[in-house]
Amino acid sequence: MGAVIRLATITLVTALVSLSGCGDLQGFGGPVPPLVSFSVTATGDLGAVRPPDDTGTPDLHAALVWGRQWLVEPICILPPENADAAAVIAAGCRDPLGFVPARVAANVPIELGVPASLELFTLPAADVLVGDLTARVGYASIVIYDDKDGDGTLSLGRPNRPQQMGPPDTTPTQSSDVVYSASFVTMTAPDLRVAFRQGAFIPSGFYPRAGCSDPPVAFSVLGAGGFSVADALAATLAGTLPQEDPATCTNQDPSAAAFTLAVQPPAPLAELRCTERSTDSSVRYREPDTDPPDLTNRTMACVHSPSFGTPSDVIELVISGRSDDSCVGLTHYVLKGCRETPTCGTPDWDHSLAPPTWWPC
Amino acid sequence: MRWAPTPVRRLLLLAMVLLPRLATADGRLLDDDAFAVTSSGNLALDAGLLVATPAALPSGLSTGIAAGITRNCGCHFSYGARASWSTVTEGSQFWTVSHDDIRLRAVGAVRHTVGRGSVGLRLGLGTTIVHETRTRTQGMGAGRTDLDTTAWAALPALDLEALFAVHITGAWVANISAGPSFDRADGALRTGWVMGLGVAWEP
Repeated sequence: MGAVIRLATITLVTALVSLSGCGDLQGFGGPVPPLVSFSVTATGDLGAVRPPDDTGTPDLHAALVWGRQWLVEPICILPPENADAAAVIAAGCRDPLGFVPARVAANVPIELGVPASLELFTLPAADVLVGDLTARVGYASIVIYDDKDGDGTLSLGRPNRPQQMGPPDTTPTQSSDVVYSASFVTMTAPDLRVAFRQGAFIPSGFYPRAGCSDPPVAFSVLGAGGFSVADALAATLAGTLPQEDPATCTNQDPSAAAFTLAVQPPAPLAELRCTERSTDSSVRYREPDTDPPDLTNRTMACVHSPSFGTPSDVIELVISGRSDDSCVGLTHYVLKGCRETPTCGTPDWDHSLAPPTWWPC
Repeated sequence: MRWAPTPVRRLLLLAMVLLPRLATADGRLLDDDAFAVTSSGNLALDAGLLVATPAALPSGLSTGIAAGITRNCGCHFSYGARASWSTVTEGSQFWTVSHDDIRLRAVGAVRHTVGRGSVGLRLGLGTTIVHETRTRTQGMGAGRTDLDTTAWAALPALDLEALFAVHITGAWVANISAGPSFDRADGALRTGWVMGLGVAWEP
């Protein structure tokens, strides 16, 4: 009996003590720490690099943009076969070794000369990582941009191609945001990129850094000096990866890295706000309709189907995007062929004997 | 296939032959004392399973075990002490939160015995000690285990439970209890419920 009373008494005493409500439980609440943060500083004279017609008050932001795996179309890297083709390539091809955005993961307002912290609260999703479950990697570029549409994020556009088969692409074709700087613009120039690695690392053609050390597991900030287009083509033909100069390679922990980005004229950076379709990197061919496509402000050329081997005898019509589009791109029409190739065994369409009246080739 | 006796089968066969003979030694399988209540003391020890709303977490179901000691004072009143441990793990977009709730209660109950059963109302007053473990979602993937947090808290608490007990055999009693539970967390009164299912030993 005495023991029971003592136990009950002790319990009551603890209850009285706990009336003070000691403890610091947070449950699901409290501040959420970011998984990683990056220090970003924009420098330079924005007024000196702004387009003359851009007179509004700039609303500078920094964004972390994950890169997409994308392969350039053959016509964009092969020598143009005529002047029209050269004009179409100039109007419709993006930098073949440029950084292609896939998704904007984080944004933060930024002022020139004032460091800002760009924070990530989630890991990159699997669709921006390249590799399998045991070895995959993703790369991101830090982008400084003027948030012209005021939505607080870098708005990505896509090439303005005529409507194609399959579900409509909901990505807008226009982006009014203006990019003024980026840490990773192209593989042909020095870059500083955010890397995220899961599992092992298998070198691949996904923004390669051959010659540099492997990225560490989880987040890191990697630097490389870049390689030339000629080196990239030569390495590709040899079945290898273009080599970086090891002296230019850097590998930093995000907490120790700092992105200092000088603003630049926006024209060469315009493609950093342009993504590409997510199906794959192959060319899709279209069947010419009875009515002509809208060719306003577009450049077109009749060319042989690009080939790295024996020259093709298939003639295709290549049309660039409109000159006022935010993003460049090409559209291919063939009189006879399939969606995937103009030389399929059983063509899905064949207008070779009766081309549409508007067909220019 | 020919049936071949194994040692296990032999034992089973032996049991099938002998056990009915033992059971029917006096001609009956169950005698009058099989479910007789032999409790004579005023002390009871009980233990069982516990299900409750978490003391400090806004969602989930906390499950665990409970035990107690009770002294009957020979009337309708009894008193004692109880302790339980239960745990719950829930997740949100950014956190996976585990709460271990340790309930310590001084209890007093009024009981009314009906036949071999009894009903009662038990009031428990005490504290609930909560150990919180928070794991930052995707933190390990980012190599950031330093984002995880742990914390302790002691919350004043009160339970009011309805009791149902039935003497099964000898000194063994089956118990079930359920009722509202209150505690004070973050300066606010939180309400929940608690339910227990167990057995008691009343020698």
